[in-house]
Amino acid sequence: MKSNLIYFAKKLLVMIVTLIAVSFLVFLAFEIIPGDVAVSQLGTEATPERVAALRHELGLDRPFLVRYGDWILSYIKGDFGTSYSYHIPVSSMIAQKIPITLAMSLIAFVITIAISLPLGVEMAKRVGSKVDKCVYTANQVVMSVPEFFLGIIITYVFGLVLHWFKPGGYVSYNVSFGRFIGYLIFPSIAIAFPKIAMTVKLLRSSIITESKKDYVRTAYSRGNSTTQVLYKHVLRNAMIPVVTFLGMVFTNMIAGSIVVEQVFNIPGLGRILLTSISNRDYPVTQAIILLIAALVIVVNFIVDIIYHILDPRVGGDK
Amino acid sequence: MKKLNIKNIKINGRKINSNMVIGASILLVLTIVVLVSLFYTPFDPEGMNVSLKNAKPSMTHFFGCDQFGRDTFSRVMVGIRNTFLISVATVFIGVVFGMIIGSVCGYFGGMVDEILMRINDALYAFPSVLLALVVISLLGTKTTNVMIALGIAFIPSFARMVRGEYIKQKEMDYVKKARLIGASHFRIIFVHILPNITPVLLTSVIIGFNNAVLAEAGLSYLGIGVQPPDASLGRMLSESQSLLFTNPWCAIFPGLVILLLVLGFALLSEGLSSEE
Repeated sequence: MKSNLIYFAKKLLVMIVTLIAVSFLVFLAFEIIPGDVAVSQLGTEATPERVAALRHELGLDRPFLVRYGDWILSYIKGDFGTSYSYHIPVSSMIAQKIPITLAMSLIAFVITIAISLPLGVEMAKRVGSKVDKCVYTANQVVMSVPEFFLGIIITYVFGLVLHWFKPGGYVSYNVSFGRFIGYLIFPSIAIAFPKIAMTVKLLRSSIITESKKDYVRTAYSRGNSTTQVLYKHVLRNAMIPVVTFLGMVFTNMIAGSIVVEQVFNIPGLGRILLTSISNRDYPVTQAIILLIAALVIVVNFIVDIIYHILDPRVGGDK
Repeated sequence: MKKLNIKNIKINGRKINSNMVIGASILLVLTIVVLVSLFYTPFDPEGMNVSLKNAKPSMTHFFGCDQFGRDTFSRVMVGIRNTFLISVATVFIGVVFGMIIGSVCGYFGGMVDEILMRINDALYAFPSVLLALVVISLLGTKTTNVMIALGIAFIPSFARMVRGEYIKQKEMDYVKKARLIGASHFRIIFVHILPNITPVLLTSVIIGFNNAVLAEAGLSYLGIGVQPPDASLGRMLSESQSLLFTNPWCAIFPGLVILLLVLGFALLSEGLSSEE
């Protein structure tokens, strides 16, 4: 029990250190961009005095580390700076969009788990059968479909031909939560499908590898049925690589949702990220990137914890 | 109820080799298309023709025409070429820098290795399309910047893989013997160990291509990368999306070609890794 706490504390510490390191990298990256923000903001009105005045106003004339400290503290307080192009606080710009992207990724994640885990186990049970071969081949193809192409196919088939949903008819969660989720289901499927194929493949091969090990034979010799061996012994061990993979899947789904949002015309984080990149609206880009980076790090932390629960040997007291 | 069947995996062993054959053939055909496109396309890929606006697929225009009357087949040929070009540059940057960082870290170890790998792991966990978007937001949306951005985004995975291999190899006898006869570290890293990790490196290069094609297509779908009127597969999809109902082939054919490209690399890497 005590070793669990030590493990937890250690991982928490690593997470905080990584968060600081990554935030520093993000800050540094946007520091070294060629061109002076003050000059580009003033445009044609840039006289040396006005540039100096604006630099002072924006606090750009202070030492690098002081600015980093200030920047990160204001982030912790929830102040993400002011957008260059819209002159409104970044936090108010993205606060409304986070639930959209997050909801989409979460639905996709739930779909992935709900389909891939039972399917992967079922395929491992039937290794070598006709069904297994068909699913294996289908898997290879589905894995290779880009999410946005799948999104376009879904729009065409279910939106334009079958009229199951109205393409571009996104409903805000403020208007109707049910219709909001209803619209997000289709883009979520587009994000989830390639990941389902990958997870099924990994789980299947992981179960096969595990079932060759000695403890499986021992479990059989003690009179367990296949079902008992599979669910009580093999699956627990086979899940370990899958959990790590699912952690990566979730972070990739956020990246995927940024692209798929464009297919389904959803005004989420992806839309602002892309506009801010093309407008060179650095505070907005920086905020979104740091937010996603923080999310990635937190997800990795959660994966580490689940990992430890599944396999207490990992990272235990030595 | 049957016991968990282990022997049948051999069936898959045979099947995986057919993976390699199919993957290699797909890529061969597409490479030929790229080579042909350098000298010949059936129509001018940028030539607009009002009378052919939204033409359906036919014997002269295999994939139909887009909203400007441009031949989709010719544009797809050029699009594959652009995707190939960007992917090659991407994987090249990723492999070269990943090799250098990974080999030095793995071979020497120590403090530098510890610090670089912590940063590397944080970057590795970050989705590569997003990492590329960060770099692009700093550099601008030109084609060369996409190559650099994706290349940088691919360094962490290669570095991680190469490092692992070097850690394994440096304990082997041949490395110790090479040290004994006075070979320099530089020579051991590049002349002695490198050839021994080529099989593993090759597989991850192929996987790298697979990811590069997907990432490039995604970025060009978002309008980042190859700029119009030059054809790119991802952009063709986004351009034809508003005409999806009347004119679906403009989106379907470029999409299928991206799918084929990715599938080709996926099958090839699958086949290669099972050969080892």
